[in-house]
Amino acid sequence: MKHIRKGISLSLILMLAVMIMLTGCSSSDTSGKADGKWAGKKIKVQMIGDFKDKTATDPITGKKVKGIDVLKEEFEKQHPGASVDFILMPWEGYTEKTQAMITSNEADVYQMPGLADFAPQGVLEPLQPYIDKDKEMDLDKFIDSQVDGWKVLGKDDDKLQIYGLPFLGDARFIAYDKKLFDDWGVDYLSDHPTMKEVAEKAKKMTGKNPKTGKQNYGIWFRGDWSSAFTLIDLAEGQNGKWGEGFAWKDVKFNFNSPEMKKGLDWLLDMKNYAPKGLVSNQGSEKWLTKDNNVAIMMNQGPGDTIKPTYAQGLEDRIGIAQEFKNKDGKGGLFAGSPLAIAKSSKNKDLAWEWIKFATDEFAQKYIFEEVGAIPAIKAAKTWKSTKEMPLMQPVFEAMRSPVTPRYPWGSSQPRFTLTSEIEAALTGKRTAQQALDKAQRESTAWVENRK
Amino acid sequence: MANNSIELNVKMEVEKVQSKRKDWGLKWYVFLIPSFLGILLFMVYPVFESLRLSFYQSNGTVENYIGLANFKSVLTSNSFWNSVWNTFYIGIFQIMITIPLGFIFASLINSTKRGQNFFKVLYFLPNVTSIVAAAMIFAFVLHPEMGIVNYVLHAIGLPTPGWLSDPSTSKWAVIILAVWHWIGFVIIICLANLQAIPSEMYEAARIDGASGLQQWFFITIPNMAGTFAFLLITGWIGALQRFNEVYVLGGPNGSPARSIQTMGAFIYERGFTGFEFGIASAATYIMFILILVFTFINLKFSKMKI
Repeated sequence: MKHIRKGISLSLILMLAVMIMLTGCSSSDTSGKADGKWAGKKIKVQMIGDFKDKTATDPITGKKVKGIDVLKEEFEKQHPGASVDFILMPWEGYTEKTQAMITSNEADVYQMPGLADFAPQGVLEPLQPYIDKDKEMDLDKFIDSQVDGWKVLGKDDDKLQIYGLPFLGDARFIAYDKKLFDDWGVDYLSDHPTMKEVAEKAKKMTGKNPKTGKQNYGIWFRGDWSSAFTLIDLAEGQNGKWGEGFAWKDVKFNFNSPEMKKGLDWLLDMKNYAPKGLVSNQGSEKWLTKDNNVAIMMNQGPGDTIKPTYAQGLEDRIGIAQEFKNKDGKGGLFAGSPLAIAKSSKNKDLAWEWIKFATDEFAQKYIFEEVGAIPAIKAAKTWKSTKEMPLMQPVFEAMRSPVTPRYPWGSSQPRFTLTSEIEAALTGKRTAQQALDKAQRESTAWVENRK
Repeated sequence: MANNSIELNVKMEVEKVQSKRKDWGLKWYVFLIPSFLGILLFMVYPVFESLRLSFYQSNGTVENYIGLANFKSVLTSNSFWNSVWNTFYIGIFQIMITIPLGFIFASLINSTKRGQNFFKVLYFLPNVTSIVAAAMIFAFVLHPEMGIVNYVLHAIGLPTPGWLSDPSTSKWAVIILAVWHWIGFVIIICLANLQAIPSEMYEAARIDGASGLQQWFFITIPNMAGTFAFLLITGWIGALQRFNEVYVLGGPNGSPARSIQTMGAFIYERGFTGFEFGIASAATYIMFILILVFTFINLKFSKMKI
């Protein structure tokens, strides 16, 4: 009896130990296949967005889309012996997930929109040496401004460096509904509209639609989350700037400049021609539907516009105009997703090969045609698939002309300070000048503490 | 002699069994190791790591020791005190409305002869609904132009507020959601207590000529004191930790104009969107102290023994 009990307890303990080992330990094997030029090399690539492991149905278009195994197969074919695995994650909470992954050396290559926050941590590999020694990598293949937009400061850098190369493109533009313009007898927006033009047309199209008799609104802009970028673009349209500098020690804000004040006054005026809920991201629910009631949508991105427009069969209704630009033709938020190599990667050469592969036509075509994301290379302009979607051409134009490098405060406290103060002005808690002065004061105090 | 020998044998057998049981009993602690390790790793370690981080300027990897500067920065930050105000405002009204209302509903359900289970399920359903999903639905329900609440208010000739798009009403939007979500739990807990009050007490009161209202005031309510104290304390702790619904409704900075940013959201904003882990850790410890103090006050106030 005693032996039986001992046996049971020993086997239970053994089982427990095995369970802990199986559940708690993942393979840290970095070796790939046995044969080929890249024999034994293996990398892990983290990707964010609507990527799927295997072929699946797209919930927006209803079409079958190929999984990311297509990229794996092609990459491994081009790099005999190499092996690539993916860690896919959604956009929700990507910053903290990336931080956790990079702290625990989880992947070799990261899709990293928050490059400016990670490079100063010293956890990324500078890419300039790889670019210099690799004749196959030509930075001219990227759409203008895309490489410059992702230049950031590393831990010990005193000037901007390349730590990431463009993978997914993004842009900001003004979208509008041609049907509402037609109903109201208003000319479409010009390709590069001014604040005055947008305001005049928005005012004309607010009220009961003369054709349908339904309530229409001339304009909508997001009054909360992205309002800081909408306002900065308005200032840029008047040749103003958010401020200057990139490293915190050099940053000087100019949030209460006359151009910013005029921009915020413009938003306050436009609020009268917009649905009620714009400060809580409400009121534009009918946009990109047949019952749309908003004529002009400010600060839009291709991800939420292009694919849904074509999926809804609204391509003849939707027009795209550029955001406000300064005298050099630059204006608007630089956005997208670059690829970066982790400093801790054990297979950096193969990681670099992945970056080259992912920014070449095969992978870029895949992300556009299958995933519906925006490519970042010039060749995309001439693809059959982009030509079939004429709305992509103004998107490429918008990608060419944002302000670069990316605003260094774009995901830091000054962004939230400015956003909250714009909200305070839009909801009547403070005047435009008071709100901007407060944003300037608080952001300057914050950056002083970082020096 | 024989008896003594038998007694000795029995005693030895008993000691043997007891010793075996003791050995056998200790082995079962092995099974606690996984959960104990989990607690150590995911609760105890972060508590101390967060305390350490609160003395550093940290972006996750690069750290500089700065002493109490993070605490000073948080305690002198208007945004932080604004988040404390929002947390308390929403919490106080949620508790002040939900506990009395839940108790009244529980009393009504308890007094009905038929359909008790139906009402229990009906009122408890919101509590089992994910607060994230509920918050998303409430954003539509309280939509300033297309929401059903404003539709009804307009239909009966009342003014239609902006709810989540207006800082003066946004906190009330969160309070309505919080009350709706928590009231089912309050009802169930109150009902359990109501059903445990001896019927003899009511019987004696009726014989003495007490009315229904008098019975409610002088028997039911005094017998509910422990339950009220429990709800008050758990409600306070939950209210001070509020994050999920305000994050869904107003993002990390509690839009509009930080009007619904709670302490939890402030910590998230500074930690995970601004990469200021030292500031976020210091704010977490200040929040912990606030919760500790108010729980202590609640315990004293409600005279609940723990």
